[in-house]
Amino acid sequence: MAGVKVPRNFRLLEELEEGQKGVGDGTVSWGLEDDEDMTLTRWRGMIIGPPRTIYENRMYSLKVECGPRYPEAPPFVRFVTKINLNGVHNSNGVVDTRAVSALAKWQNSYSIRVVLQELRRLMMCKENMKLPQPPEGQIYTN
Amino acid sequence: MAENSGTDPTVDSNVVENAASDRTMIVVTVKTPKDKEEITISEDSSVAQFKEEISKRFNAKQDQLVLIFAGKILKDGDTLNQHSIKDGLTVHLVIKTAPNDTISSASSSGTPQANSSVNPSSAPNDSTTPDTGPTPASTQPPNLLSGFGDLSNLSGMGMGSANFMEMQQQMQRQLMSNPEMLSQIMDNPLVQNMMSNPDLMRQMIVTNPQMQQLMERNPEISHMLNNPELMRQTMELARNPAMMQEMMRNQDRALSNLESIPGGYNALRRMYTDIQEPMFSAAREQFGNNPFSALGGNLDSGVQPSRTENREPLPNPWGPPGTTPLESRGTGASTTTTTSAGGTAPSASNPLGINASGLGNGVFGSPGMQSLMQQISENPQLMQNMLSAPYMRSMMQSLAQNPDLASQGSNPTATTNPSQQQQQLMQQMLQMFAGGGGGSLTVTPEVRFQQQLDQLSAMGFINREANLQALIATGGDINAAIERLLGSQPS
Repeated sequence: MAGVKVPRNFRLLEELEEGQKGVGDGTVSWGLEDDEDMTLTRWRGMIIGPPRTIYENRMYSLKVECGPRYPEAPPFVRFVTKINLNGVHNSNGVVDTRAVSALAKWQNSYSIRVVLQELRRLMMCKENMKLPQPPEGQIYTN
Repeated sequence: MAENSGTDPTVDSNVVENAASDRTMIVVTVKTPKDKEEITISEDSSVAQFKEEISKRFNAKQDQLVLIFAGKILKDGDTLNQHSIKDGLTVHLVIKTAPNDTISSASSSGTPQANSSVNPSSAPNDSTTPDTGPTPASTQPPNLLSGFGDLSNLSGMGMGSANFMEMQQQMQRQLMSNPEMLSQIMDNPLVQNMMSNPDLMRQMIVTNPQMQQLMERNPEISHMLNNPELMRQTMELARNPAMMQEMMRNQDRALSNLESIPGGYNALRRMYTDIQEPMFSAAREQFGNNPFSALGGNLDSGVQPSRTENREPLPNPWGPPGTTPLESRGTGASTTTTTSAGGTAPSASNPLGINASGLGNGVFGSPGMQSLMQQISENPQLMQNMLSAPYMRSMMQSLAQNPDLASQGSNPTATTNPSQQQQQLMQQMLQMFAGGGGGSLTVTPEVRFQQQLDQLSAMGFINREANLQALIATGGDINAAIERLLGSQPS
């Protein structure tokens, strides 16, 4: 349905359903932060660290914010769980839009799942897969 | 429909388990990256109960299970309702394997790396494994060894096999580029502990396959390693860069005396000519065009050698003598330093004594040395390995800048005492390694302290050699130098 502008809420509801049904390969998960959030703005994501990387066996929690112009505009993504990854600010976990191609070249057919999966792919890159990580369980406080 | 809450003490027995009759049962899909199972459970269940079911189905312990739904981790105390988990929805499951080795290795770097990798009990065994990780290590076992790879490399003189090379190189690169790190490592009491254990050090060195090869071909090395005194002294030196520098300078000075011995120079030169060809051609691969132009640098005798790779047999023994010895020394140093101590006797007070003996035998004359040379020239890879170790470079630069050291390295004398050679060699090497970053000798001490030397000899200290050493040790302070001289006379 390329070119059709789907209203924001429809899209987000669809994504909500997909998140609950576990569409995808099971390595990422997403859902509303607050089930009562009628604006469907604040989302939570989870990325399961890919095997054979330093992120293996860890679960990374993220906050995804879908603004009013979503899906025309990309969402804001930030890590909650501390991570050492290229493209993620060390101090607050904010994901640099330019570092993630899905965000840099956002299309309205993309979704939260696409972003999460892209981040997971980044974890598997040579330049990232061996970066020393902070101890498990730490989160960004700001 | 047995009640199973009693079997699990963590589950609140008041909560109704899935056996209850008038609760709605829902079917939830539980998905792992590999697997998918459908679990039937009561709508009102807690996450803990849910996990119980899952642990049965997936054959894993409950505390290994991590459940994720809609981007949130389900905690044991929550209920499925809380998370709006309804019939037909999918929950993601991660089964945690044993606690992460990757974490422990990830947290180690630099000094801590030496820390985590130092494990005296398992050290000798572990050091054989080649796969050492670079500072951001990947998994634990390699990380354990990375410290060894590095330290054994200290003594291995960068003769790591091609397997080791990358890791060691990286490590060395980091170390060399960051002298603070090196001193950190050296300061680390664990490292010092380890280094004060001669057996350990010896083990490490011995298990390096390159060293083993080397030892086969050159029994002198094994002598060296087997001499605990020597090892201890070496490690002492390794620990204390200041001491090493002093030793180096001692040897510098000792060597410079060689020049004044009639015939000595010729002997040196002869030797170099024998060696320099294969060495140089091997080195040429590594360095390309003009590797030893740096080495062809200043001579303190005032004769500026042709700063080229003038490989021709030297027509004028006293003309550019520095060049050849220097250049071949450059390669010679890097390779021969591993097997032969170039220096004369370590003691300042008797350089000439030792020098005089064994003239003409030459370090290079010894069969071991020659075999090493052959080995080196046959195996450019080995050469390359050695030469590309960063501290090799710095050592060679130092050599370049200090022609005395260079000629010292090929000192033909002191063959009578191979273990001494090795010892000095080790000292040199270790000093180079530790002090290479910061210790470039641009102006020879003799020149620097010319004035002080004159003063000292006017005062009646005729042993120029000792004078110079004292001056070097005290940094040019005449009074302190005098005290040194007076205090060290018996030696």
